[in-house]
Amino acid sequence: METELNGSKTSARSLIEFDQVVAGYTHLTILNELTLDVRKGEITLLIGPNGAGKSTVLKTLFGMLTPRSGEVRMAGKVINGRTPRQLLGEGMAFVPQGRNLFGSLSVLHNLELGGLQLPRKVLKDRIEEVMVQFPRLRERINSRAASLSGGEQKQLEIGRALLVRPEVLLIDEPSIGLAPIIVQDVMQLLRRLADSGKSVLMVEQNVRTALKYSDRALALEMGTLALDKPAAELLNDPNLNRLFLGGHAKK
Amino acid sequence: MASVRLTEQVNKKDKMTDFLQLLLSGVATGAIYAMAALGFTLLWQAAGTINFAQGEFVMLPAFAMLIGMSFGLPLWASFIVAVALSILVLGAAFKNWIVDPMRGSGVVAVVVATLGLSIGLKSFTKAAYSAEPHPFPSIFGDEVFKLFGLTISYSDVGALVFAGVMVLGLQTFLNKTITGRAMQAVAQNTFSAEALGINVKRMIFYTFAINAILVAVTALLITPTYLAKFDMGDNIGLKAFFAAIIGGFNNSRGALLGGVLVGVLENLAGAYLSPAYKDGVALVLFMAVILVKPDGLLGTPQERKV
Repeated sequence: METELNGSKTSARSLIEFDQVVAGYTHLTILNELTLDVRKGEITLLIGPNGAGKSTVLKTLFGMLTPRSGEVRMAGKVINGRTPRQLLGEGMAFVPQGRNLFGSLSVLHNLELGGLQLPRKVLKDRIEEVMVQFPRLRERINSRAASLSGGEQKQLEIGRALLVRPEVLLIDEPSIGLAPIIVQDVMQLLRRLADSGKSVLMVEQNVRTALKYSDRALALEMGTLALDKPAAELLNDPNLNRLFLGGHAKK
Repeated sequence: MASVRLTEQVNKKDKMTDFLQLLLSGVATGAIYAMAALGFTLLWQAAGTINFAQGEFVMLPAFAMLIGMSFGLPLWASFIVAVALSILVLGAAFKNWIVDPMRGSGVVAVVVATLGLSIGLKSFTKAAYSAEPHPFPSIFGDEVFKLFGLTISYSDVGALVFAGVMVLGLQTFLNKTITGRAMQAVAQNTFSAEALGINVKRMIFYTFAINAILVAVTALLITPTYLAKFDMGDNIGLKAFFAAIIGGFNNSRGALLGGVLVGVLENLAGAYLSPAYKDGVALVLFMAVILVKPDGLLGTPQERKV
């Protein structure tokens, strides 16, 4: 079932909703009455030219920026103004862009910091779960995070975010700095997460590869939603290159 | 002939004894510099703050202890009061009222603010208390003892042990506890730490509080030598700053190495070259190290976003 939310389609499966959200930095407004949704069990890919507001969507959603107006909802509850710590407790996790590990700390200690809110015993069990999912991390458990390869580091970042068993995983530019073969591994991992019922909201410049693994693509332009299409459909859309290069999308 | 040889042997033994004594007292002084230097590196790593008032941060607890003793408190009790005041004023107030409002304006703004604070604190102490140097008791007493022919003062051994325990305790806290590792995480990548739900503000406050404890301990150990004076922080602040850079500003262990190197080498230079050169050693060592290894002996190059 799909309904109209201020001109944009949302679905009964919507887990995250942005409703007319305005957000930005001190003197700069990035999101201009943005309305969009992220659905349960799907990979939603956010694309658009630089400055369109992709990363700002993730930061606003994860409580690192407070919306100036509009509502951000998760499972129907308004979450404006919640802190990252509160949102982690409510089932959302965020893997930011770039290197996010604490290089001088070991793999185990990096994992521990991902589950600070969890009781000690639960944390231990969850770390074990992550290591079952990422056997390579078990082999490197006492190594310094800085000594891991790019692919291992990304596994650790994602594994660390999964410790809180999030319902929604936000991930910003997961392919940056990774070899193409590793990018495929990361995308397959995200696909498996979505197939297991988690929702993934991904920002990715490597659009063609990301679209192959995504369910839905949302294109942003100047902080507004310019396009909302099934990923497979957009993959063959002649507008794709223009969109990615900063051209105007045909709605 | 035999007596000449005997005299030579005695002289050689005396020289070795002198050298070892200088080395030991240098390590003790260096360990004290290292604590102040460690404060520099911790504040830099956790909050991007270079505190040019660090020397005055050592001076203030010294006067707090003097005031405590003037009210009849014993030194140890005055020290505890000084630590508490130090956490409140040099930790919380410094962070909330000076560093936090300035951080958004970049590191230069914080540097200028702390330079101003340094001048202000000295002038305030001079006007409010006195411009004269005040004797300060050593918590370990003034006695000496003999060991393997060396004359060793209890205050040197005490300073070394106290500083060693502080530094080892801090290293253990930072590396072996989850809070310590969360502090390291904030120092290494604040944004990621926030994304993991780490309470970044609290961790940064802990760093300021640790620095406040370090300067209070430094004051306790060094003031018997420097005497309590409004400008006593000039020397200790400068040497701690050089020590932090020599060891590597982004490496806590580097601060220890830098502090001990400065302490030992200035002691040796003062004895074997001239006492006039003593205070210049830290500067010479600092220049030599940054020419050869700009990141410091144990420091690592840092990425800078442009």
